Amino acid sequence: MKFLNNMTLGQYVPVDSSIHSLDPRCKIIATIVCLTGVFLVSGPYGFLSWGLFFALMVMLSRLSGGLILSTSRPVWILIAFTSIIHLFFTQGTPVFSWGILKITHEGLEMAARMGLRLLMLVLFAGFLTLTTSPTELADGLESLFSPLKRFGFPAHELAMMMTIALRFIPTLLNETERIMKAQIARGADLDRGGPLRRLRAFMPVLVPLFVIVFQRADDLATAMEARNYTGGEGRTRMYPLRWSIADTATLMLTVLFAVAVTLLEKRLMA
Amino acid sequence: MSIAVRDLVHVYHPGTPLETKALDGVTFEAAKGIWVAVVGHTGSGKSTLAQHLNGLLLPSGGSVSIDGVTIRSGEDSLRVVRQKVGLVFQYPEQQLFEETVFQEVAFGPKNWGFPPDEIKYEVEKSLSQVGIGPEFFGVNPFRLSGGQKRRVAIASVLSSRPDYLVLDEPTAGLDSAGKRQLLALLLDLKALGKGIVHVTHDMDLALGLADIVLVLDEGKSLLWGPPELILGELLEHDIRGLVIPPMVRFAGKLRDLGFEVPLTWDPVRLADAICRSRRP
Ligand SMILES: Nc1ncnc2c1ncn2[C@@H]1O[C@H](COP(=O)(O)OP(=O)(O)O)[C@@H](O)[C@H]1O
Ligand SMILES: [Mg+2]
Repeated sequence: MKFLNNMTLGQYVPVDSSIHSLDPRCKIIATIVCLTGVFLVSGPYGFLSWGLFFALMVMLSRLSGGLILSTSRPVWILIAFTSIIHLFFTQGTPVFSWGILKITHEGLEMAARMGLRLLMLVLFAGFLTLTTSPTELADGLESLFSPLKRFGFPAHELAMMMTIALRFIPTLLNETERIMKAQIARGADLDRGGPLRRLRAFMPVLVPLFVIVFQRADDLATAMEARNYTGGEGRTRMYPLRWSIADTATLMLTVLFAVAVTLLEKRLMA
Repeated sequence: MSIAVRDLVHVYHPGTPLETKALDGVTFEAAKGIWVAVVGHTGSGKSTLAQHLNGLLLPSGGSVSIDGVTIRSGEDSLRVVRQKVGLVFQYPEQQLFEETVFQEVAFGPKNWGFPPDEIKYEVEKSLSQVGIGPEFFGVNPFRLSGGQKRRVAIASVLSSRPDYLVLDEPTAGLDSAGKRQLLALLLDLKALGKGIVHVTHDMDLALGLADIVLVLDEGKSLLWGPPELILGELLEHDIRGLVIPPMVRFAGKLRDLGFEVPLTWDPVRLADAICRSRRP
């Protein structure tokens, strides 16, 4: 039985690097720019450029390439699945057929494009959370959304919810592991049979987990209220965000790069 | 016929930055009809050790064998071990999930494939052992009180008819009446011939009830022997995180002052001894 030991999907890795020390708002916007950029390209030059850009960012962040790849491991299956669907279900000129299975030229192209696009999206999004602590991320989002507060948008509350959710992921994994072990000790068979049987076999884990989560949430809410938490209004900020020249420069370079790649690719493909 | 642990080593997350050596050469034995207490400070590896005794964790080094059969990976051999050694986790009431008390306690025996009439028999027997009457069989376990939930959870392990019972801090969070009831239950089970491994950080409990005590420190087995022997060692050496019961400190002080009294945690025995040593 394998337990949930090595879940590192997007877990913050504190390192002293120029990427880590950027303002979270800069990193959030730059990530959105990159994600948009990845959506706008569709050919080999475009993906290659973004790949190189990503490699450069990873080098600047002083994180190891192996770590980055391993954190994306949980979504590889999803990516492979998407690619395969596109591979077999895209109409066009056949290059290979076997019974009712048919691979078309267009299918190959689509599979590569969708797979690469999804992979890049996961890598860029994961890179943001790898290099930005949950608190910074929440502060950044709150600050970016704060203009909307005037229209009643709960920016602070959403940010706080996100911080708490991220904070509780490791705890939840621990609790899950503990309950799984307790049920296995009573003879529960959690990893045999088909998906439906497995889902049913997981009830002994899910039910107690729900109970614990609600209990925890309730306790946390009470504890926050007891310490007079009433929302964002008038609350002190310990580490106010600071936008520096480096942030402006990074953001401008990212935007320029995205525009350049998109335009150049249009040219080259035309 | 016993649980035999030899030079057991356990390393969590080997080869990663999170690598932790939780057990570092633990050796001891727990036989049927014997109560073994495992004591040690928080983080000394007690819970890790408990999980090794029924194959939830597998050794990084050394071995654990149950009635002469060494635990190794492979679902089928593990199932045999897990049925023989019942493991009661800390706060076992958190694992309750069925709709009725009866169903909850039947969960284990169903998993082991007991025939229906045997299941009914075991469930009723286990529940009566822990003092839960038939009027509760149809009740939703979530509606019970804390102490009752704990007893149902323990019954749900007993119903698998284990030869050994390993309990990780079973009295944590119970009031003193609940504690007393639970310990009385363990004594009954011991009298029925079950082997009890009682993990606790409460020296009072360990010394008062156990036949043999294992003291863990930093994942190593530091002391192993009957309570009287452990007491002497405890008084001589300060062991991190273990509080010596006041009665024992009192007896130790009396001995320092020249009284001939035994090192004991039992107030009645101590009082007798004091009286006798006063009157020639
Ligand atoms: N699932 C786990 N993953 C990693 N380390 C763990 C895990 N469980 C326990 N440890 C570590 O192993 C050591 C022993 O823990 P544990 O067996 O729980 O001790 P105790 O029950 O005596 O408090 C501690 O340092 C703890 O941090
Ligand atoms: Mg413990």
